[in-house]
Amino acid sequence: MTDTLARATPSLRTHDSDGAPALQPTRDLHATLPDLVDALLNKGVYLDLDLIITVADIPLIGVNLRAAIAGMETMLEHGMMRGWDERTREWVRQSLARHVPLEPDEDVVARMAGGHRRDEPPTTWRPGTVYLTTRRLLVWRADPRELLWQTDLAEVTEVELRTETSVGGEERERLAVTTGAGTTLLSAAAPERLETLLRERGEAQPRTAPDRSAQVWYREDRSGAPVWRGGTGSLGPDGLTWQGVGDARPAVRLREVRDLQARTGRTPVGRQVLLVTGERGVVRLATRAAAWARALAAAATSGTRSPSTSDTTLTGGDA
Amino acid sequence: MTLTIDEHSLKNGVLTLVVTLVEVIQEALEGQAVRRLEGGELTDEEQERLGQALLDLDDALESIKADHGLTASVADLRRGLDDVVDDVVDRLVNPSRWADAQGGETPRGDA
Repeated sequence: MTDTLARATPSLRTHDSDGAPALQPTRDLHATLPDLVDALLNKGVYLDLDLIITVADIPLIGVNLRAAIAGMETMLEHGMMRGWDERTREWVRQSLARHVPLEPDEDVVARMAGGHRRDEPPTTWRPGTVYLTTRRLLVWRADPRELLWQTDLAEVTEVELRTETSVGGEERERLAVTTGAGTTLLSAAAPERLETLLRERGEAQPRTAPDRSAQVWYREDRSGAPVWRGGTGSLGPDGLTWQGVGDARPAVRLREVRDLQARTGRTPVGRQVLLVTGERGVVRLATRAAAWARALAAAATSGTRSPSTSDTTLTGGDA
Repeated sequence: MTLTIDEHSLKNGVLTLVVTLVEVIQEALEGQAVRRLEGGELTDEEQERLGQALLDLDDALESIKADHGLTASVADLRRGLDDVVDDVVDRLVNPSRWADAQGGETPRGDA
């Protein structure tokens, strides 16, 4: 074996500096636990055990045990449990209720192992399977069956990848999904893929909601130094408004958004400044809510004939 | 040989043990699943479901390990278990080595 190999591939010999044969034949068993279990199951084990437990030589308990343990395929080969196997599979075939409850015109876009974090105490991760359908994002547990969490895609205002340190100290990517009801953390086998798909879905379905609001920062040009103030930006049929935290009335009210440009600059939430041109001048905004920024861009392009910013530059916040 | 389970954290140790056992069982199940698939009795739908379930189990185990920081300790424990099994199997198939281990006593029969 060694010789033929060495002859067939002379380079093996040249690699060897001390002139020893290039390959040393060894007989290395290296049995592992899975190997052992595998071998046992493939062959099958038959136990026939008689046992008497005695105290002071008086038999007290008798055990008469017959057991056959094998892989199902081995069992079937030996003609055991055939009927049972068929009945079991037949039963499952008839109870088709194990599938995810989908609407009639709903299709699964992606599915992957994952879970969501329940926010009410005790805060725990509930594992299941994450489904992205044409309408919803949901976490489904097959056994015991329960719909752990779900949201309509139309209600998702923001998706964001967060890197978290897990209990064990390993870095894990989580997907933070913000809806009107709040933010939920999802874990998924491939969070990046889920995020990309969610973003695509979000853009494919134009939001029909009458107005959208998100946390938006506004640069107020006070006399002297400009100040970034946090507040709520709303987009609606009557234009763009921004209301500061604690303000009684919106400080910004634009009937129409004529132009939108993204500039690089220092903001409290990343390095992107949104320059919004309205009927009364330019307003500087910044936000982490990518969906809101996209909606603003859509409003700007639909409101005027001057398309200003491509969607690629408007990823919002520090994305 | 001793199995070292992190004594600082009992929870970690117990979880490691459980996850390791589940992993071994999972591998056994995978082996048997392959045999059943090759047996050719399962319908397409059953094959699909079986494969998907095993993939899900695999993903779930990986994420449990990562969530609790068990990847290294599970690998350690598995190596330890494999060594034990290797040792036992080695002695079973080589009675002469068993005799060696007995400290030079005369081997009893076929051991």
